[in-house]
Amino acid sequence: MKKMTEAQLSELETDLNAIRDEVLADLGERDARYIRRMVRLHRSLEAGGRIMMPFGFLPPVFVAATATLGIAKILENMEIGHNVMHGQYDWMNDPSLHSQTYEWDTVCTGDSWRRTHNYEHHTYTNIIGKDRDYGYAVLRLTDDEPWKPWHTLQFINYILLSVLFQWGVGLHELETEKLRSREISWREKLPFLKEFARKGGRQAFKDYVFFPLLTFPVAPIVLAGNVGANLIRNLWSSTVIFCGHFTQDAETFTEEECEGESKGHWYLRQLTGSSNFTGGRWLHILSGHLSYQVEHHVFPDLPAHRYPEISGKVQAVCRKHGIHYNTGSFAKQYGTVVKRVLRYSLPERLMGMARAA
Amino acid sequence: MLPRETQHKALQWLGRQLFNRNDPEAFFDPLLERINPMWVQEYTPARVEQILSETRDTKTLVLKPARRWSGFRAGQHVNICVEVDGIRRNRTFSLSSSPLLWQDQGLVTLTIKRLPGGLVTNWLHDYLQTGAVIGLGEAFGDFQIPQPARPVLFIAGGSGITPVLSQLETMAALDYRAPVTLLYFVRTRDDVIAREKLLALETRYSALTLNIIASNESKEPRYLRDQDLDAVPGIKARQVYLCGPKGLMDLAQDLLFKRGFADSDIHSTFFSTPGADLGNQTLGGQVQFEGSRLEVGSEGDATLLEIAEAAGLTPRHGCRMGICHQCSCRKTTGTVINRLTGQASGPGEENIQLCISVPRGPVSLDL
Repeated sequence: MKKMTEAQLSELETDLNAIRDEVLADLGERDARYIRRMVRLHRSLEAGGRIMMPFGFLPPVFVAATATLGIAKILENMEIGHNVMHGQYDWMNDPSLHSQTYEWDTVCTGDSWRRTHNYEHHTYTNIIGKDRDYGYAVLRLTDDEPWKPWHTLQFINYILLSVLFQWGVGLHELETEKLRSREISWREKLPFLKEFARKGGRQAFKDYVFFPLLTFPVAPIVLAGNVGANLIRNLWSSTVIFCGHFTQDAETFTEEECEGESKGHWYLRQLTGSSNFTGGRWLHILSGHLSYQVEHHVFPDLPAHRYPEISGKVQAVCRKHGIHYNTGSFAKQYGTVVKRVLRYSLPERLMGMARAA
Repeated sequence: MLPRETQHKALQWLGRQLFNRNDPEAFFDPLLERINPMWVQEYTPARVEQILSETRDTKTLVLKPARRWSGFRAGQHVNICVEVDGIRRNRTFSLSSSPLLWQDQGLVTLTIKRLPGGLVTNWLHDYLQTGAVIGLGEAFGDFQIPQPARPVLFIAGGSGITPVLSQLETMAALDYRAPVTLLYFVRTRDDVIAREKLLALETRYSALTLNIIASNESKEPRYLRDQDLDAVPGIKARQVYLCGPKGLMDLAQDLLFKRGFADSDIHSTFFSTPGADLGNQTLGGQVQFEGSRLEVGSEGDATLLEIAEAAGLTPRHGCRMGICHQCSCRKTTGTVINRLTGQASGPGEENIQLCISVPRGPVSLDL
């Protein structure tokens, strides 16, 4: 990681706080209108997708219905749920958009997400051993983590994780790696498992039982369409999230270098541990503006649609302090993610030999 | 056929499964609102039918609530919800119309005075227009006239007249058979709210005696005095209802207690956060927001809501005066003082209202 003195870090903190304060002072009707528009769009897409689905015996309708429902789920998870739960719209005092009570359309419960993502991941971003989102305890993505033979096949794990992403995220808090090492017991995880079963059951009931049965004669079509919609959402959200921290230049940190860190150091870690990708307006919206992962990690509770507006200022601060602002096209960033998953499936020793040869 | 209640419960359960929320009926509100704002399910929508000017700083809103609204009894209050610059604001007002108007025409009225510096009252005066839809809560409050009829004395000040208007209208319509006197204090004669209505009531309803007193027209302020009470026939037997600014209410209570009135014969309702006298206590302390992993110190009589907001948190809240319970929150340890009553809480775990709780020593909150 780039070394900065405490004085420099404190200046970085002041610079970034100024950007944040400016947005906070300006929050108002424009932001309320934006998020309500997104919620309205989500309701329309969800209703549209569900209504079209039973007519999916016509192939073009099947494709349209599945895509519509898939996009509805993406919009709800990424631009609405994730951002609302960060408290980006708490100031509106609208109970339907309140971070602590929002429940989203995915297996992971809102409460579990608030603990593992909002708290753990956003506080300990990219600290190996503390940020369990780094590789999700399934993938080895840095040499800081010792290589084990089963890492060789981790690309298969990556594909499985992406396909079943909502279930993986839902089970994230189970901390299977700690269960395996007996650091924690199954008994301790019982309350979590109960909540997981309840929410997972609810999601499965809705998409795989209720709506198919409601349209009984065409149940297999509706079931297939709903599976497809969930798959679309799973693949897209996992891809976006992987592009946020696992690109080539996204840095990792050790526990030692972050011990007792200042807010300025936390800012530096967010700037260097995250990566953006560029694209059109709708690519940003469908990624929940996680395409501005850097801005999001620096200011997780500012309304996400503001990230494009402040991106220029954040880049200027990075230039001023000589910090690398990690961005690139979606294809380029994703390419480096795939490379990273492949590369660290092999031990450092082997990679070194490959480079030498 | 299933009883309605059970059906409702089953539907609620299904709604929660499908829409992941405890009020599934509100899931499609964002769409319904666009088609017809009166179809919104999350709260009871009410359309502004008419806006009447009462005095230079008071207006009466005539509202038509959606039919599912449960109605009210004379003298009750409601929370209304309006969105000002993207932020939902809840405020409490008294209903100034009679419940009969709701039963007959489906209308209710709120009479609202512009408060200096008041965010919502000023917005309502400056921006609310006929045809707009605002949110309406269910009515609450027990500022109610005695049944069967007993002699009544109302002492009202300024905009404190609003619940009394509702009661007088109702009493007149029901031909309430007992002497009724209203002592109404206003700053100047121009500040009389609903003058025509009051005069019409006095003519129509013979049991009513009306005495309007302007407090600020002479050199010496003309406050409530003992002679005003002497002039009320059979005062000893009256049930007294107080509504107005704190100064007037304190004065009235004082005079009444001296005359030997019991607590149970005096009924009062507040219009502004009255605030108990917290002067001689050491207040403030370390406040720990456990859910947010944040600890801040506070001094003086800042409420937990103010402390939380100053610390950058955004707890749910409503009226900010201890009425609506939107800001109710679990206190895990510590003692808080209720700003309204001055009473201290227990030290243990309990639900408190952030907007009227002042920490006394260290306090931990599940927030």
